[in-house]
Amino acid sequence: MSQALSADDLTGADIKSPFMQYLPAMLSIAASFGVLFWRLQTTNFPSDEALMMCALAAYLFAALVQLMNLYAPSGMAERLSLWTATIGVFFNLSSWLVRWVAAYEREIGMLRDAGNPETPWMFRYIPFANLYDLSLAFAFGAGITTLVFLTRKNFAVLAAFTLPLAALILTLARFIGSEFIDLPPVLDSYWRPIHVGVASISYGITLVCFAVAVIYLLKDKVKPESMAIWASVFSFSVIATISKFSILTEFVYRAGIFIPGQTPADKAFFTPFRLEIPYVGPILAISALLLLGAIAAFLAYVYRENLQARKIGHGLLAAAFIFQLVAIGFWVNGVGAIKDVYPRLQTQIQQNPGQVAAAGKELVSKQNLSAQEFAAITPAQFEQAGQNFLQQTGSSMFLSLKTNPVEFSGLITGIAGLFFVMLFSFRTETLRKRLPSLEALDSLMYKTASLAFAGLAMLLITGAIWANESWGRPWGFDSKETGALVAWLTYAAFLHTRISRGWRGRSSAYFAIIGFLLVIFTYLGVSYLLPGLHSYA
Amino acid sequence: MSSVEESVKPREGGRSPLTLVWNAFSATVEFLSSVKFGVVLLCILVILSMLGMIIIQQNVQGFDAYYASLTPAERTVFGTLGFFDIYYSRYFNLILLILSLNIILASIDRIGGAWSHISSPKLFGTPGFYKRQRESAEFALVGSSKDEVAGRIAEAFREQGFKPKITKTADLDEPSRVRMGISEDNAQDGPVYLFGERGKWNRMGAYIVHVSLLTLFLGHFVAFQTGFDADVNMIPGESTTEIQLIDINLDKHERYAVALPFKITCLDIEQKLIDPNGSIEVFNTLDWRTRIQIEDPQYGTTVADVSLNNPFSYRGYRFFQAQTIPVGNARTMKLQLTPQDGGEPFAIDLMRTGETKLPDGTVVAYEAFMPDFTFNQRGEPDTRSADYNNPVAVLQVTTPGGQSERVFAFASNVSDDIPVGAPKLGYKWRLSEFEKSPLAHVLSIKYDPFNGAFIAWYFGGFGLMGALVFVFFISHRRVWAMVGDQGPVGEYDVVIAGDTNRNHLTFEDKFKKILMRLKGEAAEQDKEI
Repeated sequence: MSQALSADDLTGADIKSPFMQYLPAMLSIAASFGVLFWRLQTTNFPSDEALMMCALAAYLFAALVQLMNLYAPSGMAERLSLWTATIGVFFNLSSWLVRWVAAYEREIGMLRDAGNPETPWMFRYIPFANLYDLSLAFAFGAGITTLVFLTRKNFAVLAAFTLPLAALILTLARFIGSEFIDLPPVLDSYWRPIHVGVASISYGITLVCFAVAVIYLLKDKVKPESMAIWASVFSFSVIATISKFSILTEFVYRAGIFIPGQTPADKAFFTPFRLEIPYVGPILAISALLLLGAIAAFLAYVYRENLQARKIGHGLLAAAFIFQLVAIGFWVNGVGAIKDVYPRLQTQIQQNPGQVAAAGKELVSKQNLSAQEFAAITPAQFEQAGQNFLQQTGSSMFLSLKTNPVEFSGLITGIAGLFFVMLFSFRTETLRKRLPSLEALDSLMYKTASLAFAGLAMLLITGAIWANESWGRPWGFDSKETGALVAWLTYAAFLHTRISRGWRGRSSAYFAIIGFLLVIFTYLGVSYLLPGLHSYA
Repeated sequence: MSSVEESVKPREGGRSPLTLVWNAFSATVEFLSSVKFGVVLLCILVILSMLGMIIIQQNVQGFDAYYASLTPAERTVFGTLGFFDIYYSRYFNLILLILSLNIILASIDRIGGAWSHISSPKLFGTPGFYKRQRESAEFALVGSSKDEVAGRIAEAFREQGFKPKITKTADLDEPSRVRMGISEDNAQDGPVYLFGERGKWNRMGAYIVHVSLLTLFLGHFVAFQTGFDADVNMIPGESTTEIQLIDINLDKHERYAVALPFKITCLDIEQKLIDPNGSIEVFNTLDWRTRIQIEDPQYGTTVADVSLNNPFSYRGYRFFQAQTIPVGNARTMKLQLTPQDGGEPFAIDLMRTGETKLPDGTVVAYEAFMPDFTFNQRGEPDTRSADYNNPVAVLQVTTPGGQSERVFAFASNVSDDIPVGAPKLGYKWRLSEFEKSPLAHVLSIKYDPFNGAFIAWYFGGFGLMGALVFVFFISHRRVWAMVGDQGPVGEYDVVIAGDTNRNHLTFEDKFKKILMRLKGEAAEQDKEI
């Protein structure tokens, strides 16, 4: 598209020097390394978890200020958002770097306590060992990518969309738990920082690409109600699937149960049992019904222009949002308040004895038996296995929000999605005017998708080379490998549809959204739901 | 219509079979080379790959339990469709093959157009061409001549990294002049054209990406077709000329012995522990190291170490640390010997598979190690478990007089009254210290005679990475300018245009900088006027 410029249209303010453009990003990185240096000088220092919480707060604050700036623009709010985001990235990276030192000190302490004089190399402790570490790095990838683009003209708005997502990832990390793992020796390779480092930055870029796609759709006059339908479908799916589908089938929510690790510092173990948390199930079930109602009402509005249905839909959506918030409140309170886990579990088992056999089956399935051996086990033997486990561990069982990080984060993400679509419905036209032009958004979407494509390719290649050095097989279709490949192929399709069909704008935005959802599935779903070599992260 | 044209006109009433075949072939090639078809193939691959993630594959741990949990109907349907081994199914490989063909054909189809950007850049155009570009601007610049104005624009181009090429209308060949609508009479007074570009080789980036991808596919295919995976147990002191090839077919894991062209001997195995007194579990381990000796009738003897992330390659075979057989054993032992004749106790060191000589000439040889000593049902010494609950070193001791006896050196205090713990051959034997190690290491072996995997991932993979960086971090940026007729106060009409194939935001900044530089000059001129 040609844009005829008059020389009089130009001002120096349009163009920022590359130095100024990257200054916030450079400052945050430099300051974080300053913190690392400081941490190396002293042991009396805030923990990585505390710094992570500071990053979470800064991201949320920056996003909030930028959201306000969208409705009531001011230069002051824009600057405040930029510099708070910079501080968020600083805390995020500092947390990761401090964790590196903490992991080193932990294992060196273990070695010396055991009388072992060996000092492994520093890269053994780089915080890329579990999902918590990866989440910290993922959020940093999203934060630093946001900072790089935030300083471009009209793109300050990006912070309002990307930083809440980065904050969600940190929230997930908080619930995963920051305990260190004993590093499996195969991960002690110089390829790990390369491979996982590339993963975190690439994932961060896909997050920004996703946010740009959402902004594009909003700017391109996609009705907030259409977005509300998808947000409601997501939220409904989360409610329908958590707690092993029990919300909509039994109106009950059962939380996972932990047993402690060998020492207080060790990560707790999951048990195959779950305990009912009062009130959460019915409230979430009501919320799910309200969401269904909202979906129906919004469909009537989108396809039949029924304004009354629109009004009803917004009412139902707001009610569903409130019910979900209340459910989260009961969940958090219930998990904290219930201390008599074993007696309650026994009562629950008396009402539904089938749980023991199911738990026993889950325990036996992890014993690497052959299909014939597994098939030969009788239901009574499964029940016996469950009973034995209960007797051995029952008294030490406890509840924690960390038992269900994916479920919890799924619900929080659903709530955040509903919040955003409700926000978009408020003074939508004013909001649209404040967003960058469609052309600029499309250009940024293409740029971030290209970077994500290159990054995911590097992720796959470095992973394959590492696997070839460690296991002698570069590619084994492990579920995480395949997940990353699927996401990469999606971005490949995104880029090629621009060539073959001239798909730009809205079509590309849908591809970018699908690509990011696949990345999230690879990042979370594979780790928690599918077996494979990457189950540690 | 000439006779020649008449002769090539298709006959009425139908085309010749040859033409039909040719048309069908052309249509097929066109279809196979279309990017649209490539995108469809990518989408099919995405769907099949996701299916393979959801349905547990037969080579993944936990498949047996999953397979057992399926109904017979599910097993039949999934098995018939190849869903349990989807990534190695014929149709998956066929799609990869067609995708490769699509990449080749699409590249051939489009490389000519991309090459023309490099071989014959568009140095000039009509005013309409300039206006159609993504960036364009028109303004007036005062100057002493067209050449002088063009020189200033060239300088502005140069400042932004574009090497300018200046073309005068008089220099144009006739077809170009005709195309531009300039008559020969006006050629001397015609416009002056400027062109500058950066990153023109970026146009070839996509093809380097495709070549890298094909290298990757091909290398992987060669490795898969010509090589195999196997493993071998490494127990110190033992040798073998065979390795075990594993074939997985649903829930059946079959092993076949494959002969090696050389003999491997395990000299030593070592497990570096975080806590040397802790268990030999993975979480307490820093590394595993296996020392092997290869005796090759063709190339002699080679000794090598294989540790985690540090494989050893030999004649197309690569040896990797894979796993251990975690039955407690000892790599080195320190034995405390208390002479029965009342002398001072003393210590000796013994390697697994080794032997040592005492000052009195007695030879102490390692025979076995039992981590949890017990007597089995036949009343023979045995180990109750794999854990170090009651470790004992079993030794073969031979006196200088030739008397040989089996001796048990316990780590715990065993009463002299118990036969296995009683002093033997003049000494009370104690196992005072030992370095923990597992019974055996398992090395996995990848046979890849043509180094297909190496070529695929180091050449194809790194090539792909480099090419993608080249494609997405560099863009082909072009700027044009046309200095036209002179106005009434000595000003010249100037059109400036620019375009890029990527990274429009950055290019826009560069273009604006060129304009600002010229705008500044124009403003100065306005003041002077």
